[in-house]
Amino acid sequence: MDLTTATVEAFRLLFTFEPQLWGVIWVSLRVSLLALLIAAPLAIMLGFLLATVPFHGRRAAVIVLQSFLSFPTVVVGLVLYVLLARSGPLGSLGLLYTQEAMILGQAVIAFPVLAAFTLAAVQGADRIVRETALSLGATRSRAALTTLFEVRFAVMAGLFNGFGRVISEVGCAMMVGGNIAGLTRNIPTAISLETAKGEFAQGIALGFVLIVLALGINASLNYFQGEGGMK
Amino acid sequence: MRVVSKILNATFACCFSTLVVLGHAQSSEAKKPDAEIRLATTTSTEASGLLGVILPLFERDSGIRVRVISVGTGQALKLGERGDVDIVLVHSRPDEDRFMAAGFGSVRFDVMYNDFIIVGPQSDPAKLRGLPSASGALKAIAGANLRSPTPPIAKFISRGDDSGTHKKELALWSDVGIVPKDIKSKPWYIDAGQGMGEVLAMAGNLQAYTLSDRGTFNAYKNRVGLDVIVSEVPGLFNPYGIMPVNPAKHPHTKHEAALKFANWIVSPAGRAAILSLKVEGQSLFTPGVPPIK
Amino acid sequence: MTPPVSAVNAGTFNAGLLAIARLQKSFGDRTLLNIVDLQLNSGTIYALTGDNGAGKSTLLRILAGLEPADVLRGDFESEPIDGADYAQALRREIIYVHQHPYLFNTSIAANIEYGLKMRRVDSQTRHSLAQEAIRWAGLQHVADIAPKRLSGGEKQKVALARAKVLNPRLLLVDEPTANLDRAARQQIIALLRRTASSNNCVVVACHDREIIDLPGVARLHLEAGKISV
Repeated sequence: MDLTTATVEAFRLLFTFEPQLWGVIWVSLRVSLLALLIAAPLAIMLGFLLATVPFHGRRAAVIVLQSFLSFPTVVVGLVLYVLLARSGPLGSLGLLYTQEAMILGQAVIAFPVLAAFTLAAVQGADRIVRETALSLGATRSRAALTTLFEVRFAVMAGLFNGFGRVISEVGCAMMVGGNIAGLTRNIPTAISLETAKGEFAQGIALGFVLIVLALGINASLNYFQGEGGMK
Repeated sequence: MRVVSKILNATFACCFSTLVVLGHAQSSEAKKPDAEIRLATTTSTEASGLLGVILPLFERDSGIRVRVISVGTGQALKLGERGDVDIVLVHSRPDEDRFMAAGFGSVRFDVMYNDFIIVGPQSDPAKLRGLPSASGALKAIAGANLRSPTPPIAKFISRGDDSGTHKKELALWSDVGIVPKDIKSKPWYIDAGQGMGEVLAMAGNLQAYTLSDRGTFNAYKNRVGLDVIVSEVPGLFNPYGIMPVNPAKHPHTKHEAALKFANWIVSPAGRAAILSLKVEGQSLFTPGVPPIK
Repeated sequence: MTPPVSAVNAGTFNAGLLAIARLQKSFGDRTLLNIVDLQLNSGTIYALTGDNGAGKSTLLRILAGLEPADVLRGDFESEPIDGADYAQALRREIIYVHQHPYLFNTSIAANIEYGLKMRRVDSQTRHSLAQEAIRWAGLQHVADIAPKRLSGGEKQKVALARAKVLNPRLLLVDEPTANLDRAARQQIIALLRRTASSNNCVVVACHDREIIDLPGVARLHLEAGKISV
């Protein structure tokens, strides 16, 4: 099958709402969004604390956090796999090859992205933001919240970035999810499978969905930043 | 400082001249135009270590370098159909026959076979041990789950990746009149869409049955905690065929060198090489045609 | 040291508001500020002058409680203060306006209401006070524009309105008229005068002769770490 026929077939599959294909898309969205939902509060809090609370070893903590940004997702998958495997310490939970395991893995992958973006955003915010809040009578913690709110678009960029990272990662999802049809098969693992099978139409259709998602994310980010960032 | 730099210079000169000499040696050896071919094959031949054993021997004998693309049987055949490779080595007889009938291959040789086995938890919850045929065993798994649907007492993991093993599994189901859509949505039937090694690991973790080739299972058995439940019964043999891509379809392919490889692998030298791959004293592949179908 | 006069009666003009007995601030070996006996009175505008780098901003920031001093002793409305709890005790009496004020990325009204919100003023009162402050600062024509898109002078006016609604006893303003055109400068000066006229004390760090030479403006000159009047 050449590229043109494969692409035409891909669109047919998409727009006839072929249930298997859309099932895979649904798994991807559900897993990635839940992962972000779990990771975001803690990650944003951590990034914020790293940016605002001075403590011994903060520099080291920041360096560790930043290096986790480029942590290979397969390694996250491997560690989780070893923990969740039947013979592993958490094997009795029976989480391996479930969506929950994928959500956990993606939350771990998204965590440093969200924390690092928050850290950079809060650090990048001028000292003047906090001082203004304090001078107008805010308590320390209230001034901190105000600062976080003022950099909300940068934090949101972190959220979108994290989403982009987890929706497209294949290594961890494959290892802890197992690419089980109808259960843990998401867009990237399905693409990798369809390509291995030589079924390029399905692969292209899913790739197309990923690209549309990426475009959508960037467009909405631009929109939000435009709203907030207009000079 | 000066001494150090002199030593460094000398070292460099030495290395450089060695490289030049080596380069010459290589280029004089590799003088034939067909000195490199691309082989599409299944993951099982690569993962079992077979290619690692036989290819250096062939390369030494012939001076032809074999570049390996190891994928599922389905994709290996597609690569051949498109002329992206010069030769394919796969194990799915009906597909191979179609490939030949469509004129994509110039010739087909029976190379070797290995046998499939049904592996599963030691407790054998579906009581497959001693059953006389492979498809009968699969039917017994379905039957066991029919009696006790939730939670499934006997899970089965399918490769689900269009590989030769997957095709073999589907053929076994269809022998007893079960088509994929009957079982696909069943909670006990897990469509994994992964390679043999991953599926064995998954079967071990979930304590499920699966169909495996013996070579890969032998390589994994110490790690996955599964037993061989059914083996050496009709329906479990796995013959490999080799087919050079037809130059009439794809003139740019290196047919002459590909044919040389095909002839070599079925020659006494090739058969000996295949037999020499052993795990725990047992050859993983047997050259020739399987004893029973 | 001049003792603070009749500070109990806050209604009296020119009453002593803040009396600093001693204020010291050093950076490393360099003593930037070494001030003794400085009195600031209510209802007065002080023009704080001095060369760039003389420490005007640092002095204002210390008085605002945004930066700690090495030594800070004195009285605020007759209550003794000291360096340790200065910021805590007086933060709500004193407001500092940066040279380039930061406006929160919300709306002008929300900016003005921020301090009121921190003081738990109910939303209806906040709203009417903000509207009044917008009129006070002459910002009606830009009230719906995003704060980021305001001009420098307009931002300064929002910052002053934001401070004014809180009716601070002491307003510290850092170079409010620098880089502004003449019309904007005059409007800012008018706002500062109005603030002082409601019995508050305003200290303006500036080089601006238009402020220094205004009738009724007291001059504080900072040189070599000391204040001369």
